[in-house]
Amino acid sequence: MDISRSGNSSPTYPKWRKVAYGGMQPGYDDNHTDESFLEGMVMNANVVKRDMLKVMQDSVSISQYLCIVALVGLVWAYTLRSTLDENSLLLLDVSLLGSGFLILLFTEEMRSLNLLHYVLNISLFTTGLYVLAPIYQTLTRSISSDTIWAVSVSLLLLHLFLHDYSGSTVRAAAALKNPTLTSCISLNASVVASVFIASRLPSRLYVFAIMLFCLQVFLFAPLVTNCIKKYSFRLHLFFSLTLMAVTLGFVYQLHQLIFVLLLTLLVFVTVVCPYWLIRIQEYKFEINGPWDEAKLCFDITD
Amino acid sequence: MGDQKIHRILMVSDFFYPNFGGVENHIYYLSQCLLKLGHKVVVMTHAYGNRSGVRYMTGGLKVYYVPWRPFFMQNTLPTIYGTLPIIRTILIREKITIVHGHQAFSTLCHEALMHARTMGYKVVFTDHSLYGFSDVGSIHMNKVLQFTLADVSQAICVSHTSKENTVLRSGLPPEKVFVIPNAVDTAMFKPAMERPSRDEIIIVVISRLVYRKGADLLVEVIPEVCSLHPNVRFVIGGDGPKRVRLEEMREKHSLQDRVEMLGAVPHAQVRSVLVSGHIFLNSSLTEAFCIAILEAASCGLLTVSTRVGGVPEVLPDDMVVLAEPDPDDMVQAIQKAITMLPKLIHKSCTLE
Repeated sequence: MDISRSGNSSPTYPKWRKVAYGGMQPGYDDNHTDESFLEGMVMNANVVKRDMLKVMQDSVSISQYLCIVALVGLVWAYTLRSTLDENSLLLLDVSLLGSGFLILLFTEEMRSLNLLHYVLNISLFTTGLYVLAPIYQTLTRSISSDTIWAVSVSLLLLHLFLHDYSGSTVRAAAALKNPTLTSCISLNASVVASVFIASRLPSRLYVFAIMLFCLQVFLFAPLVTNCIKKYSFRLHLFFSLTLMAVTLGFVYQLHQLIFVLLLTLLVFVTVVCPYWLIRIQEYKFEINGPWDEAKLCFDITD
Repeated sequence: MGDQKIHRILMVSDFFYPNFGGVENHIYYLSQCLLKLGHKVVVMTHAYGNRSGVRYMTGGLKVYYVPWRPFFMQNTLPTIYGTLPIIRTILIREKITIVHGHQAFSTLCHEALMHARTMGYKVVFTDHSLYGFSDVGSIHMNKVLQFTLADVSQAICVSHTSKENTVLRSGLPPEKVFVIPNAVDTAMFKPAMERPSRDEIIIVVISRLVYRKGADLLVEVIPEVCSLHPNVRFVIGGDGPKRVRLEEMREKHSLQDRVEMLGAVPHAQVRSVLVSGHIFLNSSLTEAFCIAILEAASCGLLTVSTRVGGVPEVLPDDMVVLAEPDPDDMVQAIQKAITMLPKLIHKSCTLE
């Protein structure tokens, strides 16, 4: 360790160097703070400048999903009031399934090969659901309806809170990333809520129809909307806005207070939150420097 | 020591023997040096397995294994006041004058510093590692650090990079933070009497095989170097979760005869592994100081290392080849080191 010290014997002290070897540098204490201190620090290197319009456009997918969930709630309410009979509910299921398939076929071409596989899976799934429907029907007979409503609403809130708005939990077979824990919890919460609601219905066919509807929406709606978004952003915007208008119209017919609440929520999500996000950007304070852990520039496949 | 004041120092950290690592070593050797200077040193740590109570180590170093069980990564459960009675008892019984805490993520150290400061003792803190500012764990650690270091007498860091990091994290004034690099016992780590032969070049890696030590970089680098240089052999000492990946790599590229995996190497045998090689390779992704490359250099090896944290400060440029933590750059650095080797060995011959 004495190698580098031999060069420093001159009376005028050499410039301080940022090195730890060679013992104490003559003329400088151990707590010497050079003017080069914190030279390597970089602030806010990765901060993205956000554009109001872009953030608003991105927030549309959240509003869209809120509307989808609101529509599910509407269907629940109408079914429980028996305004919607079994046959129209089944018709709704079939039309949703058909339109969802068509959208998938149009937006992603390579799926057409596995059509038979998909049809087989869906028929298996529907049969299973039909067989289980009597169990669902009597599942919560001993619990009061208020409790069921309260639990379902809180589960739906949990679902909305943890939902993965940027992707979909149910993915194409070749998806690279596994779904995260929170998105799985979210999906499960929604399924449990649907089972609870279905268990309040009078007939077996009703239970089957509503379960099929809920599962279709909660499992596949994110997949379908994602496909639309990937296919064309304009179509996505158009679809979302139509959906919002339709939802608001239906909710208005159901209850005016809920309509006002939903409208406020949608405005909050699409206008206030983006503005808020951009306002708090100026408080962003990010520090990087030579002490940061290096990131590997290749994928680790364990 | 005559006129110089004799101190009675309490070293506090969750990390001490029989656990093994840089901090544990540092505390032990620092205590030994202080004992040699005539000071009194007491170490306080938590109980390890059935090792609980008071033990004596070499040179009369008294170690208190406080009967608190570790709950996460060898850390005791943070209770703030739970350890106050025992810390107070030790401070008074041993007539302590200075409390020296080690390692930022040791809860025992934080609590001891806080209580000692409340009781009016002078406290010193040594930071051994680097932290970021972005993830939740680091943010929490930094807040705790700000709280306990608010009234610390002096702080010590192991490198200038570590000082910058600590000053930013804890908000201490830079004048209070001293840079005292880690040291290596050159009597223990000396070059071999006989230089290893030049027929084949042996590259030694000794580190825990974990993500932070860059085990994944090794997986990329080793096959590349082996294919470029038929006379290179690797000796890998250490164990860890990434060992499987390295063994897979060895199978996949059929390098069983060129990559030797030793498993965990006890510290006492590190030197004998080091002196069998020509080049030491360190692939850490983060490192406040890196005592390993210092030990390797002390054994007369040329070092190739990633340019992370405080590593560039540790060795002069003619003793180390630095590379970015990227497989291609590291392969180039190793090639450069191989071309540097004959000169270096020639130089050492002329010195002898």
